[in-house]
Amino acid sequence: MSGDDDSSGWQLTESDPGVFSELLRTLGVPLVVDELWSMDPDGLAILQPISAFIFLFKYVAGSSDASGGAGGAFDPDFPGFFAHQTVNNACATLAVVNALGNIDTEMGKDIKDTLEFARELDPQSRGMVLVSSLFLREAHNALSPPSVISLDGLNLPKRTEDAYHFVVYLPVAGSLYELDGLKPHAVRHAPVPSSGDWTGVAAETIQARIATYPPGAIHFSLMAVRPDPLPMLQAQLVANPTDEVLLARMAQEEEKRQRWAFENALRKANHLPLIHALVGALAKSGGLDAAVAGAKEKMRQRRARGQDMDED
Amino acid sequence: MSAPTVAFKAGRLFRRGDTNWVDPQPEKGVVLVTATEDGLIQWQWKNRTTNALDEDLLIFPSDTTFSQVAQSAWGRTYVLAFSSSDQKHFYWLQDASSARDDQIVHNVNGVLQDASFEPTWSTPAASSSSTAAAGSSRDDTLRRLREILTRGGSASGAGLTVEPPSVALSDVLTPANLAPIFADEALARSLFPFLPADLPSPPTPATLQQVVSSPQFQAAVRELDRALSTGLLADLVRGLGLPASAGESAEAFIRAVAEQAGNGGEERMDTD
Repeated sequence: MSGDDDSSGWQLTESDPGVFSELLRTLGVPLVVDELWSMDPDGLAILQPISAFIFLFKYVAGSSDASGGAGGAFDPDFPGFFAHQTVNNACATLAVVNALGNIDTEMGKDIKDTLEFARELDPQSRGMVLVSSLFLREAHNALSPPSVISLDGLNLPKRTEDAYHFVVYLPVAGSLYELDGLKPHAVRHAPVPSSGDWTGVAAETIQARIATYPPGAIHFSLMAVRPDPLPMLQAQLVANPTDEVLLARMAQEEEKRQRWAFENALRKANHLPLIHALVGALAKSGGLDAAVAGAKEKMRQRRARGQDMDED
Repeated sequence: MSAPTVAFKAGRLFRRGDTNWVDPQPEKGVVLVTATEDGLIQWQWKNRTTNALDEDLLIFPSDTTFSQVAQSAWGRTYVLAFSSSDQKHFYWLQDASSARDDQIVHNVNGVLQDASFEPTWSTPAASSSSTAAAGSSRDDTLRRLREILTRGGSASGAGLTVEPPSVALSDVLTPANLAPIFADEALARSLFPFLPADLPSPPTPATLQQVVSSPQFQAAVRELDRALSTGLLADLVRGLGLPASAGESAEAFIRAVAEQAGNGGEERMDTD
């Protein structure tokens, strides 16, 4: 993930289920993304039906993921949609679009037209079409801080930033496919049952991949893309207004949406006015001197320990 | 034959049957627009992989225009349209970056009007981060900052601070330091207007606590610290009603805000 990349106007975003879900909502797609803590069948059962998995991993210095784990074969004749990643910062959105290109779902006109347009092209050209899509870039950038505070591109000394890579797993034409925008082709893994559950095969494949990394070599997380359960839950509750299980699940989903909405509002906000107001409030309350004195001391101690201030 | 006046990478699109639908063709190509000796315009499309010249038209000046197809969601589809006939040729731009699109279109149309047109190309602008921001003064500031820093030299007038910061805002604005403010009802309420406008529920002192503890807010404070350490935020801080000197460092920023809050009589902070 070279820092010299031309980011072509794509800002760095967080990779968080709330961010992905909001992106899907902006694109008019009734799917949501949830973080997974395990891939055991019981855990997945609550989330079924699942349309795709997104496997995110962060390279840790000294490890290498050149082949991307064992197994699978490149499929140059992949019948589905696969686009190359041509801009690093766009990687999360690119993964989402690679998934959308292969999932049978409603979607907004812009993304639908763009996928149609790009369908007949080769993966490299598709990737280019996607990163030069204004509406897609705007939807993506909407979830990162506005440029006033996000000073990306000012050539400030690089911090250790999350360099996540995203890989999509989903079933296409009877096989489990892995879509990795940095690989030349889609990768075909095992066949999946034509009706019924494909996620068991995916779980095995992904777990096999994870097992190839030495412990601690990579940080990873797993997300599931699935149809938004809210409309169905709401309909079920109308029919069974006192069903405890339904009520609990509904409450859980709503709490999650609230949390996402809160976090996304914070992501989009320009915090400079609040920072300014907080310093002023500290001054007015008489607590500023003590806070500054304490802060200066912390800085001195840090310097004495030889630590870079930017270490998180 | 003379060299093309304008050349740009483009693919073609063909109409699907009798419909109004055009399908993009995957071949990588280039459009070459050349002025001929007798004042006409030669329009050619060449396949960059096979080098085959698959289109070769002779066009009269002012007979054609090259314009964007509005119905294309992707936004980089263009049509060469004739006024003398119904002929339409569709193209999609294949340059990886869309930074030059406007110039390409402007120059192409210039030649299509008049074969002797001389194209102008300005050096591609550094990619702007957001087309949505309508040239606000803050974005201008950022552009100036980028220019200063990428040139690598020191800007005339503004000093490039090389001193390491004496204090970090992220150590000042800790949840612990701020808790007493949030406990003060009046002071807390005075901060509500500065919270993000689209929070899912109306703000309370607890909201303030949540916000300042959030990774997003803390990241923003760290970014501001890093920016203040460049010493170049004069314009940015002026937008907050602070003197330009407040942009020189975190310490200067804090001092200026304190003065602004009306604590001129408070003990002055030590300068290191």
